[in-house]
Amino acid sequence: MAASQVMETISSEDEDQEMIELEAIRSPYGAAKFDLTHANPEDLEAQHYHEPKHTNALHRNNWSSSTQRVLSSMPSRSIRFNQLTALSRSTVTCRRRPLSDVSTTNCTTEHDVFREQDDCENDVAQKEEVLNKLQGLSAGECMRVLREMPISVSEKRQIRAWVFCWAAGQPCVHRYKGASGSSAVCAFTMDQVEEAFNGRYREVNRETQQWYTYNHLVPEPRPGAVLCGWCYGRVSQQKSIQLWQGALRNISAHFGTGVLSYFIFLRRLLIYNILFFLINGLFLVLPQISNPPLPKNIHTTTADLWMLTGMGVLTDSVMFYGHYDNNISIYNNFKNVTKWCPENYNIPLAYIFTIGAGMFITCVMLVYSMSKSIGRGFRVFKTTGNLALKVFCSWDFKVSKKWSVKLQSVNICTQLKEMVSELSCRKQKRNLCSTLGWIHFLVWFICIFCIAACMLAVYHLPSYTDQICSKANSFQKAVCLLKLPLVMSCISQLLPGFFDMLSTVEHYDSPSTRIYVSIVRNLLLKGCIFGILCYCWFEQHSCRTKGLITWQCWETLVGQELYRLVLMDLLFAIVYIIIAEFLWGLCIRNITFRRKKLEFDIARDVLELIYGQTLVWFGVLFSPLLPAVQIGKLFLLFYFKKTSLMTNFQPSKKTWRSTQMSTFFIKLLFFPSFTGALACVIYVMWRVGPSSDCGPFSNLHSMLLLGKECQGSSKPSMLWLSWTYKYLVNNPIFLFITAALFFTIIYIYMQVLDGQKMIIVRLQKQIENEGEDKKFLIAKIQALNEASAPQ
Amino acid sequence: MGGTSSKLPKDLLSEYQELTFLTKQEILMAHKIFSELQDRENGPYSSRVSMEKVLTLPELKSNPFRKRICHVFSTSDMKDGSLSFEDFLDLLSAFSDSATLEIKSHYAFRIFDFDDDGTLDARDLEKLVNSLTGETDDTRLTAEEMRQLISNILEESDIDKDGTVNLSEFQHVISRSPDFVSSFKIVL
Repeated sequence: MAASQVMETISSEDEDQEMIELEAIRSPYGAAKFDLTHANPEDLEAQHYHEPKHTNALHRNNWSSSTQRVLSSMPSRSIRFNQLTALSRSTVTCRRRPLSDVSTTNCTTEHDVFREQDDCENDVAQKEEVLNKLQGLSAGECMRVLREMPISVSEKRQIRAWVFCWAAGQPCVHRYKGASGSSAVCAFTMDQVEEAFNGRYREVNRETQQWYTYNHLVPEPRPGAVLCGWCYGRVSQQKSIQLWQGALRNISAHFGTGVLSYFIFLRRLLIYNILFFLINGLFLVLPQISNPPLPKNIHTTTADLWMLTGMGVLTDSVMFYGHYDNNISIYNNFKNVTKWCPENYNIPLAYIFTIGAGMFITCVMLVYSMSKSIGRGFRVFKTTGNLALKVFCSWDFKVSKKWSVKLQSVNICTQLKEMVSELSCRKQKRNLCSTLGWIHFLVWFICIFCIAACMLAVYHLPSYTDQICSKANSFQKAVCLLKLPLVMSCISQLLPGFFDMLSTVEHYDSPSTRIYVSIVRNLLLKGCIFGILCYCWFEQHSCRTKGLITWQCWETLVGQELYRLVLMDLLFAIVYIIIAEFLWGLCIRNITFRRKKLEFDIARDVLELIYGQTLVWFGVLFSPLLPAVQIGKLFLLFYFKKTSLMTNFQPSKKTWRSTQMSTFFIKLLFFPSFTGALACVIYVMWRVGPSSDCGPFSNLHSMLLLGKECQGSSKPSMLWLSWTYKYLVNNPIFLFITAALFFTIIYIYMQVLDGQKMIIVRLQKQIENEGEDKKFLIAKIQALNEASAPQ
Repeated sequence: MGGTSSKLPKDLLSEYQELTFLTKQEILMAHKIFSELQDRENGPYSSRVSMEKVLTLPELKSNPFRKRICHVFSTSDMKDGSLSFEDFLDLLSAFSDSATLEIKSHYAFRIFDFDDDGTLDARDLEKLVNSLTGETDDTRLTAEEMRQLISNILEESDIDKDGTVNLSEFQHVISRSPDFVSSFKIVL
């Protein structure tokens, strides 16, 4: 533009504007006065008659009408300009074709919300440009682009009719009338077109120029049928079929996006578990059910509470590892030799592969949703503050109940006041941190002490209960078995509440620090008790291998422990909801006469879900049907939590950056939870010896050695397995090469990102310089207008 | 007016499906609700529903931006905020689940532009903040806080330093917030 060339020579005059760094955005605005109270008009007028040196403050009150007219017709303020930019951004190609007749009756006042559209010719020219761009696209692209243009539906219909008329080769002088009986395709009604398409399919013989009915298979969809719109409609329908959509909408109307994120997380876990269950069920459980093994010689007495404890009937069922067998021995009349690569369905191989495939698919889905979540929250610039963001983006339009809207307004007001006051006295707060450091230390010490105490308790509890319960009857034995899970559920659900109460005495700079600290403590607690449990099991196993304890099936035992843990978690959560939320909420409401006082603690509940899911992922190796139990648990939990939420809770007063926290929780689900469970599973499969008289891997030193056993097989279908085992799994070079490739790709992407960041910094500086020029020119225009205006 | 619940013709329905971000069920539901609003109109039958009737919808009743929303989406010549059925579909489409960030930020900008001049200047921002914080006296910001707030907002978002936030700058700010798309939603 010519203007920018002029700007380049003049802008060197403005010495005040030299160093416009990214961090010093504040400095030109230090002297900004936004004169909302209209004080001192004479000073402002006096300023504008001089050369514009300090063009920081633009006082719009004093611009003359001619200046304002010029300003309001600036392209950056016109809506048409923005629409065309949106259009050019979404189209890739724009082949220009001449548009012969464009309707000239376009001075419709339909869209004159903005004042700048003074001339009709400008309007026509821009519409012509829009139509030209749209004609170069295919029908589907055209529809997509039209949909994304921010104009009204009536205008879109108009444009669409013109584009289709043009595509049919007819000049479109008038608006689409839909008169039947004319020869152009666009003049038929849709009913007539549909009738034609549902009729006979005919083709023309080029020699005789006669139409004949086509007797072969009609191509589907019929040529030309794309314009019906049915295929585009379907795409948008996909999103409407989701589980629990009505309930979630209700929750978001009352409570907003923060609490909604907990329920969406729950639904996500449900989907993962359903997938895992389907894989396990179809490829492992069903074949095993259809080939039931020989009944074992273990005296499985009918135990009380077998459903809760997993003993009794469930012990030798498809629920647990011990039932799965490689039962070729019944077909082998001579000896009890178990073959490892039999003719019919190979259960041990299926066991490894289904669990491996389930873990792999879960891993892929987790990484995919993690990357999508991170991508959504990614910021190009880290600017100094979030005030503009808060003002523009914090209003949640989904909230529609009057009380919730009022609460939201109060929240936003409080947050804005806090942020403004924080900005003004930022320097004073830094000195307070040092004096209160010892409180943090004390609270951390108490927390770690509690965690250590719990770990000791969990470690000694099994031996303690064994002593008491060895001589009891079967019902008491069942209750004894449930003691450890009960203690663990108590610890994992009640202790974080205690930690939160302790942390109220601490002082944090921002509420998000407080949330992160409480999450870290919670995670530490759960990780430690899970770790100590694994250690207990490992110790028991090593006792067994040394022959100190004779027991049949340690995998089934571990599986039963985990089953009990998962169920006990659910029962405890339900009891907690009933007592601590319903009854306590009732008390609070009646005694203090306040409306629902309880506030939903999102972080704690999400961490509970993550902990439960870790148990399931670890336990699936020992109990392939554990995902089914988790599915039932999540269903019940959803309905209980939702009812409790609606009855007892009020919308939270604290801020909750929901997308950031959702990303954080998915990362937590992946990093300590899934990877920890996966590492444990791989360790068990690789290093820990299976028990010798039950399960599909008896007589092997480790589960993964199955591959080696199959190497000797001569079956052609097993050759790929032995080849894979020999060259990929057992070969370190393959892993090394894949790792090196992976890191190289990451490095390349990082370098590209750095380059893009540099470009962005440069572009921002350029925009600032252009802005300076713009201010200079506006002030010049104002000065010229006032100088030439008759006094 | 009697209950002439007119059905939406199929070709029109498919056309609306193509041109908006709404699904077929949503369009039919919108048609149903719009017909009910039309039936409740006091005057003679017209294709437009007056702003007061639109604002009786539960989703818009308590929204502080309800009047601005009606004005932005209205294509009426009299600038009275009345909505035709297609305007109503426009509204729902912009606020729907599948609308793109561009569309949402475009309409959010127009809703926040109280004086309709194409940019957000200090007066627009002041009205915006007052709408957000509510109309009661105890939730309003003081004049000093307002001044500080607005100058900070302009400092953060006005890239070309002309004293106003235009559409591109607004969209740049919005792109930093991952929550915007999910909070700029109204579902019937």
